[in-house]
Amino acid sequence: MRERAHFLILAAQSLQRNWMQASLAMLGVTVGVGALVASMALGRGAQEEIKDQLLAAGANMIVVTAGNYQVERAQGAGAPADHGSIQREDFGRFIAQTADYYPSVKPFQFMQATAQPRFIKAHFEDDPMAEHDHPTASERLGDAMAGLGAAATLTLEDATAIRDSLPGVQFVASGVHENARIVVAADESRQWFTRLHGTEAELPEIRRGWTFPYGNFLSRRQVNNAEQVMVLGRVVADRLFGVSVNPVGEKVLLWNQEFEIVGVVGSRTWTAQPTAGDDQFDAVYVPVSTIHRLLNLSKLNTITVTTRSAGETTQISRQIVDLLRVRHGISDQMPDDFTVKTQAQELLGSGLSPDLARVVAGNMTSVDELTIEQLSSSLQRSNRTMLALLAGVAGVSLLVGGIGVMNLLLLSVTQRTREVGLRMAMGARGSDIAMQFVLESLVLSLLGGLLGAFVGVIAANVLETFFQWSTDISFLSIFIAIAVAVLLGMIASVYPARRAAILDPIGALNHE
Amino acid sequence: MSVISLENIKKIYELGDHSVHALSGVSLEINESEFVTITGASGSGKSTLMHIIGCLDTPTSGSYLLNGKDVSNLPRQDLADVRNKQIGFVFQGFNLLPRTTAVENVEVPLLYSRPVLPASERRKLALQALDSLGLSDRADHHPSQLSGGQQQRVAIARALVNSPSLILADEPTGNLDTKTSIEVMNLLRDLREQHGITIVLITHEPEIAAYGSRIISIRDGLIVSDTPNTPTESTLQDPPLVSDVAAAS
Repeated sequence: MRERAHFLILAAQSLQRNWMQASLAMLGVTVGVGALVASMALGRGAQEEIKDQLLAAGANMIVVTAGNYQVERAQGAGAPADHGSIQREDFGRFIAQTADYYPSVKPFQFMQATAQPRFIKAHFEDDPMAEHDHPTASERLGDAMAGLGAAATLTLEDATAIRDSLPGVQFVASGVHENARIVVAADESRQWFTRLHGTEAELPEIRRGWTFPYGNFLSRRQVNNAEQVMVLGRVVADRLFGVSVNPVGEKVLLWNQEFEIVGVVGSRTWTAQPTAGDDQFDAVYVPVSTIHRLLNLSKLNTITVTTRSAGETTQISRQIVDLLRVRHGISDQMPDDFTVKTQAQELLGSGLSPDLARVVAGNMTSVDELTIEQLSSSLQRSNRTMLALLAGVAGVSLLVGGIGVMNLLLLSVTQRTREVGLRMAMGARGSDIAMQFVLESLVLSLLGGLLGAFVGVIAANVLETFFQWSTDISFLSIFIAIAVAVLLGMIASVYPARRAAILDPIGALNHE
Repeated sequence: MSVISLENIKKIYELGDHSVHALSGVSLEINESEFVTITGASGSGKSTLMHIIGCLDTPTSGSYLLNGKDVSNLPRQDLADVRNKQIGFVFQGFNLLPRTTAVENVEVPLLYSRPVLPASERRKLALQALDSLGLSDRADHHPSQLSGGQQQRVAIARALVNSPSLILADEPTGNLDTKTSIEVMNLLRDLREQHGITIVLITHEPEIAAYGSRIISIRDGLIVSDTPNTPTESTLQDPPLVSDVAAAS
């Protein structure tokens, strides 16, 4: 083959001589490949978006919360299919409120499963009735607060230990969560009650669905220096400074301390739109170190961990439990003084839109058994129809392109019969002639394919820019599209090439 | 040694319920360096004879030895190789590829050489062939930019480029004016005299046939005369030039 490379030049020359017909036939291939590349880009874009949504919602996330409450779930009843997710979300808020306002509520006894979910307190550090065989949180930390999220059982050192000693952990962010009133320094009549999150610079890596319309998130330096800087959630920024106003550089007051605004955080996906009352965007973010400094505290409410792979969350959450039990000196008989929740447990209460949550959870028997693969496959099912449609368009275009190439070659064989006869008289074998036509087709479809890939990339960008459709172009998909075009060109050339190869030289030479 | 040895060659075309005898038993020996002209009327079988000699077709019966090798029953592929190595064709209609330069046209037979020639070697041989016909300054011209005589010389260069043992010319002057015809015939004669190339030329014009060292005439598929000939200076008359006519009057 290599030694016959000059046939390739020959084919190119021949196409050049018939450039008008050649470019028309090529156009068909170009449209087909363009459609294929664009549809694959849209398909991958849709998949990536689903993955992003799931990761944004925390499917690879583990949240360690101070204190230990376990919600007992009824077996076989109140399953997600009847909108258990919504119930659960409301229920979670109830727990949080209860814990915040009634920190010394007596522990419930462990109850038998009934139709309604209920919660129990399994380990209350400050329960005077409870027997502790280990140093209590108060003893360890000198902090009397207890309760879900308020139990002072987690420390920055715990977070560092998780980050440094567990392989497979991707990011760790410590969190202190309070309710707070934020006041605009320049105009104290403008104020807003919201959630205050003390956190670290890594949080945006965990919240994959975040975007920053103004400024940036807290920097490592700001966290290390415990600076008085703040990132506003979109809702807070809109309420305090107005919609589409850049508040970066403005000053706000928190606990009568001045904080400089360094950024605004918004949502990148349509599934988690900022709404008043949500935990991510109706919220403000300040360095955890700053809160510790101002309140003279060292406790954490939460440690948020992401794993490199979603499949590892269960295993890593067990390792976290083991690690923290050792660190807290808890003996085998005693329950944890913290709560570790993984992926789907948190997913349903954290920013995934109720519609999507229902789609996801509707097909699942047990939320605890959800894996990211199941989540994405469930969502991808709804995307498959659109993909099939796009693939259909691409397929038809390619078929039409292939027929165009074949038509050109057939016409070419008829028009160039005399040339074929001449070449045969000069000693060309039938196989030489066939190869010339096959190569012409290959050159044609390769050029058409390359051009089509270019067109497809542009089309995908146009869709992304002007219609906000998610697209993701991979080199593999471009390669596949061009390969399909070349294969098609080869198939289309078989019949014309064969017809040319079996021509009778005398008849061909005398052909008019 | 004879270049061509035909023994009782017959070619019969079956056309439905009757058969046409294009050649009814032709025997012929052509030796090296002969310039054989074959004449005959249309339908005499001279074209069929040329196709068989040129290995474009195979005889129904009889044997054909080309350079001592029997080629009468070779498969298509082997015939193609024989044409490529041993025969150079010159056609009436030049048969140059349009929109292709002269040198590229001359390279065509070299494209199908086995073993394969490298591109530089092909270009060198093609330029040599063009040069030997005084066309080196026309190498990059397209056929449409060349005169009829120049086009036919490019075609002859193409026939020569593979150094064949035999040149087959089918009415090579059919599309040329008298002056150019004389040029082309003188060129073929020189090729034979200087390089000892064997030439078989088919024509229906006696004046052209007179250039041959041997004239064969064919009728109804049979050779009717086969005579040696002393090539004379052309009996073709140049038409008087317009300037001469003007000067004479």
